[in-house]
Amino acid sequence: MRKRLPDWLKKRIPDIKATEETKNILERLNLNTVCESAKCPNIGECFSRHTATFMILGDICTRNCRFCAVKHGVPLTVDNDEPRRLSVAVSQLGLKHVVITSVTRDDLKDYGAGQFADVVNEIRKHNKDTSIEILTPDFKGDINCIDHVVKSRPDVFGHNVETAPGLYQKVRQKADYNTSLHLLEVVKKMDPEIITKSGIMVGLGESKEEVLKIMDDLRDVDCDLLTLGQYLSPSQNHFPVKEFITPEIFEEYKKLAEDKGFFIASGPFVRSSYKADELFASAKQSGKFCNNLKEK
Amino acid sequence: MDFILPELGEGIDEATVSFWMCEKGDKVNKDDDVIEMLTDKATFNVPAPVSGVLKDILVKEGDVVKVGQKIAEIGE
Repeated sequence: MRKRLPDWLKKRIPDIKATEETKNILERLNLNTVCESAKCPNIGECFSRHTATFMILGDICTRNCRFCAVKHGVPLTVDNDEPRRLSVAVSQLGLKHVVITSVTRDDLKDYGAGQFADVVNEIRKHNKDTSIEILTPDFKGDINCIDHVVKSRPDVFGHNVETAPGLYQKVRQKADYNTSLHLLEVVKKMDPEIITKSGIMVGLGESKEEVLKIMDDLRDVDCDLLTLGQYLSPSQNHFPVKEFITPEIFEEYKKLAEDKGFFIASGPFVRSSYKADELFASAKQSGKFCNNLKEK
Repeated sequence: MDFILPELGEGIDEATVSFWMCEKGDKVNKDDDVIEMLTDKATFNVPAPVSGVLKDILVKEGDVVKVGQKIAEIGE
């Protein structure tokens, strides 16, 4: 029997009619979302706001992180029409801010960097007022791949460190914490005007000290935005939740992160892309960042 | 009328009964929360679809219920 979840993990039943329009557009254009693939609990809320986080390069991942519900196995051929269709979806949904992520494609020569750049360029061509946020895999730290994506000039370049380095062996075996940090560092050095972002899940067995150390490591590479959310196990076969972090502790993490210089979203249901438009807007409103990347 | 488990979100096919907030014979109002359901990633309070009397309860705590499955009968 499923265990009772703490009271603060309650969700409203989504307004299914309001989510249908988003769902129909995605289906008609044959586009994947990480919302569906990763079984995000926020999906009803986000779809009914006509937002979604697109997932490119297929829905089969070449890694096997134990916290993730995305299918893994033999990946699909890259779809060269995907950038066009995604750009159409952005127009049809009327998105002012779009988030694009992907499965990890260790099988591709460029690890998927080309597709990310094509998607950013295509969206920008037809949706000039839409800010673009990407959430990428680590491209195995390949500088040329990272550079190729940076040159497409997304407004936000995100890459999640996910958890403490001490837990990588248990939940993120094919990744490397320093490779992830280095990617964020390199993006910032290549183009200081691009806002960088990373995300951490808590409740996997990390200590508070480990979380604070991750924050320091991210600030050392000039990471601007941070998200912090409760890890929830996608199924009985995935890594179990070790701890339910209280809303009070999330609030504490938020204050500590802000003191360190982050713009942060922190809460049980926060995810890297959850209300990404709002976090981006609050960062822009601060005046700290260049106003229009597209003009440069 | 049939009280069926409504859609909880895209990709969610089933949920586990956590507990009923009322009993057989209770009067319920439309949109009152009457049952708490659990998935792996969230807890949902499910409201009564209509006002009436909870005539028959078909699922109990711990039962796994599919979206669209009848969980109770609400009558006059």
